[in-house]
Amino acid sequence: MYYIVFGYNMENKITQLRKGILELAILGCLSHGRHYGYSLVKTISGEKNIDLTEGTIYPILGRLAKEGLIQSEWMESSQGPPRKYYTLTLKGEEAHRLLEEEFRKLAAIVANVQKMPEPDTPDIALNVLSVKKEMNHD
Amino acid sequence: MTNGFSGPVAQIVDNYLARLRKGLKGFPPQDQEELVKEIHSHIYESFRNDPSGNEVDRILKVLDKLGEPGVVISTRMPSAMVTLGKKKKLPFYILAGVLIALFGVPLGLGGLSLALGIIITILALIMTFYIGAFSLILGGWLSALVMAVRIFSPGFLDPWVNVYPIVSDPALNTVLYIVGSLLIAGMGLGFLWLGTRMMRGIRFVFRFLFEKIKNSRKRVGAPA
Repeated sequence: MYYIVFGYNMENKITQLRKGILELAILGCLSHGRHYGYSLVKTISGEKNIDLTEGTIYPILGRLAKEGLIQSEWMESSQGPPRKYYTLTLKGEEAHRLLEEEFRKLAAIVANVQKMPEPDTPDIALNVLSVKKEMNHD
Repeated sequence: MTNGFSGPVAQIVDNYLARLRKGLKGFPPQDQEELVKEIHSHIYESFRNDPSGNEVDRILKVLDKLGEPGVVISTRMPSAMVTLGKKKKLPFYILAGVLIALFGVPLGLGGLSLALGIIITILALIMTFYIGAFSLILGGWLSALVMAVRIFSPGFLDPWVNVYPIVSDPALNTVLYIVGSLLIAGMGLGFLWLGTRMMRGIRFVFRFLFEKIKNSRKRVGAPA
């Protein structure tokens, strides 16, 4: 039972983390120019084809639009159905700048922690390992 | 629907979009159409981008990468609820809080009967509230009208109306009564206005509860 709850929490945590970072990635992408949904996905996942459930960007786009950070416009495509293009608003540019700055700081924190020397007591290290193992069962 | 595809591929896409539409029920119609159009465009672009292999395999791969309709919608739900909640005033938040505290606990049979009891009580309260408001408006206006008529024909409705003299001057007395009656009618109108706010709050609470119950059911149903 404990383990089910733990697994559920983990999933939730990863979703939260992903959402925040994806939001920043979308803003970053749009700061270089306009995009439609599919082109955003392609740009974000890049050449390496990072595992990304493409549909998840749409709720985020919807929320960003509602917050007035991005705006959209339908445009005819030379081939196929029209595309909905998104661009950053002024408010969105500002938000992107602030979020990126914050992200750099946070990334630096994570990097610092990773560089930390090994703990003196081997027990602690062992505990960390056992937690990791348990997570893999999920 | 012509969706830019043909044969079995078109059917698969139609089926996906129909499921998406189903999941979007309850959203403003314009939002629904817009999102369906956007997802359709996504499917088309993604399909076109990978032109190798069997068409059916390709479309299935495209939809797999896109995710279930629930993925496209899921996080829209709570945000729709958040904006709904923003319009409400503090008292309704409190009411919502109390009710959610009661319902948030997984519903047993006891919980269910409690819920029913609360719902019936709320409905009765709403009815009483509106009847009260209408009585105030009707009573206020009628009294004002009767008093106004009595200015011109002092004996009007004398057998039924017994005007208690608040001040000794009968003219001033009549004016006072008219103002008082209008105030009462105004109070009734005020209650009606309050009622619309209250209804919004209650609607919000019920929608929220509905979501909660639906989600908890989903969680129980899903394999852990």
